[in-house]
Amino acid sequence: MAEDNSYLKDFSRGIIKENPVFRLLLGMCPVLGVTGYLVNGVGMGLASTAVLIASNVVIASLKNFIPPQVRIPCFIVIIATFVTIIEMMLQAFQPVLYEALGVFVPLIVVNCVILGRAEAFASKKPILRSLVDGVGVGIGFTLALGVLALVREVLGQGTVMGPDPESAIILFGENFEPMGLFGQPPGAFIALGLLLGLVNVLFKKFHI
Amino acid sequence: MRDVLRLSFTLAVVAIVSAVLLTGVHNTTEPVIREREQRDFLEALERFFPDIDEYETEETGDHRYDLIFDETGDKLGVMATAKTQGYDGTITYNLAVDSSAEIIGIVIVSHSETPGIGDVITTDNFQEQFIGKSFEDPISDGEDVDVVSGATLSTGAMIGSIRRTVTEIGENFLDKERQVLGLEDISDGIYRGSVEGTYGPLKVEVEFKDGRINSIEVLEHNETEAYYVDAYPKIPEKIIEEQSLNVDVQTGATLSAERIVAAVEKALEGAPEDTGGGDNN
Repeated sequence: MAEDNSYLKDFSRGIIKENPVFRLLLGMCPVLGVTGYLVNGVGMGLASTAVLIASNVVIASLKNFIPPQVRIPCFIVIIATFVTIIEMMLQAFQPVLYEALGVFVPLIVVNCVILGRAEAFASKKPILRSLVDGVGVGIGFTLALGVLALVREVLGQGTVMGPDPESAIILFGENFEPMGLFGQPPGAFIALGLLLGLVNVLFKKFHI
Repeated sequence: MRDVLRLSFTLAVVAIVSAVLLTGVHNTTEPVIREREQRDFLEALERFFPDIDEYETEETGDHRYDLIFDETGDKLGVMATAKTQGYDGTITYNLAVDSSAEIIGIVIVSHSETPGIGDVITTDNFQEQFIGKSFEDPISDGEDVDVVSGATLSTGAMIGSIRRTVTEIGENFLDKERQVLGLEDISDGIYRGSVEGTYGPLKVEVEFKDGRINSIEVLEHNETEAYYVDAYPKIPEKIIEEQSLNVDVQTGATLSAERIVAAVEKALEGAPEDTGGGDNN
């Protein structure tokens, strides 16, 4: 396997073949919790991506320093540090998003996508490849959250780019009664199930 | 042994580096966060009180009251920062009240009500019904304001909290006294009254004898039992003891207590069921 090829593979694997949401079904808690609006879903995806990239790089560079017996606590401390930094940054500079994401920001700490990449990839591979892997998985996660959030927002609220009334685009006429179910967690399950089915069909068709 | 030392050392180093990093970020973001909160608050103040010159802060328990003064030192009104328990976590809001104890604005500062259901409390539609209501209005569901069906708990909590906050502002900062029913004009007899609670009606029977409230009995209620025990029989005993409906309802069960007082007031406002004496069944 050529070396330059493996970077591309590391990158695309997280987006398509091992998409954390649509293929591995990891990190379902924020996936179901914050995807009521596109802005929130993508914001959550980007916050997780930032943590994922940072923790992947740090863990890959410390892999010889951290003894295997205490690797999990070390990983968690590293991840928690980045999550807390992101949380404080959001609160200071993106207060609206911070309010909307609420408890799901601190919960990034226990998002199994991030710990999973740390354990399965970053702790064994070189720094640069871990960075590429982090970017790839992060984009895959953000993309999945974005798609799910878009479906839910259109069906559940009848808008795009809400809930802020200034940026919200109302898609349907005044008489449109949005399907409130899709704004709720049960609707998230239904929408996710339908999307998973669609993704499976597409993968079969294109033999991925 | 050496292994244990090495493991602890690694963990300690990781933790220390993390702590240093966090302290640094905290110190840079903290002032930004404080400043933004302060700015948001001042903006809200200026929106509701355009003539504001300075304000004075008073804190009581969970609540914060900012007394607003104009250039000449006249009191323009009060901005309250109040908290209440919603359906899912605490709702924090600002309530702007002018000097005649009328509500001029509501701003929800933070809440975690269910999106699409309980978050109607942030909509103009819900908030507008409070504007212009004053200290003397009942501000209770079904009378002058309405809960939003489907979001009864969130909106009910807001209605109750707004009523208490306005009452508190009126009494403590604007020198108003709620007009309570005078007991002098009531003739002897047995009175019944009921009010709507969150889960159903609360009915009381009041016996009025020799110009005094003699006994109060709750005939029916649908209150949460755990809270209700704090309000009954304590509140009826208080009313009888003080011979007044202006009793302190700040118990662990403020809502139930308020409902009992309101039901007694309703009962005494109405006509007696029979003329009392206890001879006729």
